[in-house]
Amino acid sequence: MNRLSPSFSADFDDVNQEIVLTGRMRPRSPDEMRGVTDLVRRSLDGSSATVYVNVKRLTHMNMTAFRCLANVLAGACAENPGRMIVIVTSSVITWSAPLFKTLAADQPNLSVEIYDSAFYPGQTFVEDESFIPILRTQTKMTWRHEREILPRHGLREGLTVADICCGIGDFATLIKRHFNPARLVALDHSRKSLEYARRVAADFGLNSIEYTYGDASQMLLADNQFDFVTCRHSLQIFNRPDILLRELYRICKPGGRVYITNEKNSHCLGEPHSETIRWTYEQVARLFSHFDMDVEMGPKSRRLLNDAGFDAIQVESFMVTNLDGDPRDFADVIEAWENVYAGQMAVRRGDPPDFIRRFRQGFRDHVLAALHPKGYAGWPIWAASGRKPY
Amino acid sequence: MQHASLEQEAFQDMTALTLDAGLFTSEFRLCDTIAEYLANIVAQSHEDPARYANFSSLVINEIIELAFRSTEPVGRIDIDLLKSETRVRACVAFAFGKDSSTTWATFDRAAAPSRPHPAYDLAALAQAVDVNLFVETRGDDRVTLIADFLVREGTR
Repeated sequence: MNRLSPSFSADFDDVNQEIVLTGRMRPRSPDEMRGVTDLVRRSLDGSSATVYVNVKRLTHMNMTAFRCLANVLAGACAENPGRMIVIVTSSVITWSAPLFKTLAADQPNLSVEIYDSAFYPGQTFVEDESFIPILRTQTKMTWRHEREILPRHGLREGLTVADICCGIGDFATLIKRHFNPARLVALDHSRKSLEYARRVAADFGLNSIEYTYGDASQMLLADNQFDFVTCRHSLQIFNRPDILLRELYRICKPGGRVYITNEKNSHCLGEPHSETIRWTYEQVARLFSHFDMDVEMGPKSRRLLNDAGFDAIQVESFMVTNLDGDPRDFADVIEAWENVYAGQMAVRRGDPPDFIRRFRQGFRDHVLAALHPKGYAGWPIWAASGRKPY
Repeated sequence: MQHASLEQEAFQDMTALTLDAGLFTSEFRLCDTIAEYLANIVAQSHEDPARYANFSSLVINEIIELAFRSTEPVGRIDIDLLKSETRVRACVAFAFGKDSSTTWATFDRAAAPSRPHPAYDLAALAQAVDVNLFVETRGDDRVTLIADFLVREGTR
């Protein structure tokens, strides 16, 4: 990354022909924009077909910056009418598309697109509404453990808390009910999930949770705001967990803690049929890896938190099992995994029917282990937290 | 942008901030800091406060930057947030120099300002993002820039 100032940056990816502008771009004078405009001009000069100007993570901008960019882009459009310039904005940042569309009005070879579905490449697999009951069951199963774990990582009543990648908001609701934070913000990039979360919170009379639609990799939340930041099962499905952790660190107060949970899918286990179960979950890890997700991340939590600058790191693991509550709940979750992993992801990867049949068998054996009167089925999770240094 | 012939609507005080103009113009970063502070208050009744604060801070910051670039470095900057049933109004008042009196006092009520009027960019921004903007002059040396925001979703 070509860092041009502490608050904003510009970079050119010549493989994708993409100029990426990021951060808070509020310069006092055009001189402060020279690095950006030079990079944009050079990048455009070297490109002849379509060039993308990605402003999805440009969260703030003043008109000094906008005019500088507008002048460069208008000049480039006039010099090379055969080249298309596509400005890619985010639906999270409501001013971005209307403002950049004012440029498109005067330039036939410049267009604006609103884009948000690629923040988390794998997330589309679990955004289907039919997956919601399973997500709720998963949270119910993990909460039995996390309710005891969270205080050991510093959560207590009266803190300011953010739940990033909150999904359908069930974890935030539990936090509200059991830890009564002074303020609770819950962020996700799925509008459907947030609508559901707001509805559920209203049903429980929990009106003080602030739900916000946002990109966890470039949040609109200010620096140093929260005592306790949670991000559960999400770093592992983001292709750049370091970027997410940087943002979690940024919004956390000095002395506050960031709490993450991640899995190690290949360690899912069951008896009987331990071998077929083990094989299938090893394949799950490979399948996610194919889609740039790392569901083996759990034990890497200490390293990730350390590399992101946290200290006083704590790591522990727990095993969700069929003996926690109703075994049928666990079986339902495994069946949902089978539907998504074997029914959708493996198909999209192009796996042959024989593979998918064997792949499904491990899930079915896991269900059998969960429901068998003498069986045992487990799903291991790593909970870790780090303190942002003072 | 229009000169204020503001309709009669009951507004209540939300926030008032008075700054010494010399202090204000000594540090450009204050524009961003003040804009973020005010935008968080503007957005507090919205379903998604973080996003509306981000949106409103765009316009508020531009108004404050315009005050920063246009004000005389003496006297005071008055910043007020007012609230009605449907709107949150941000007002920023500052003194302009005698050289600028024609610029502000003869401001065209009907048309958007043209370059190089100091409010050209602000007016273009407000139009692009659909925020109502007004200008009100008092005497021959003081101007108030006014922007109206929705008090919550669906109140336009």
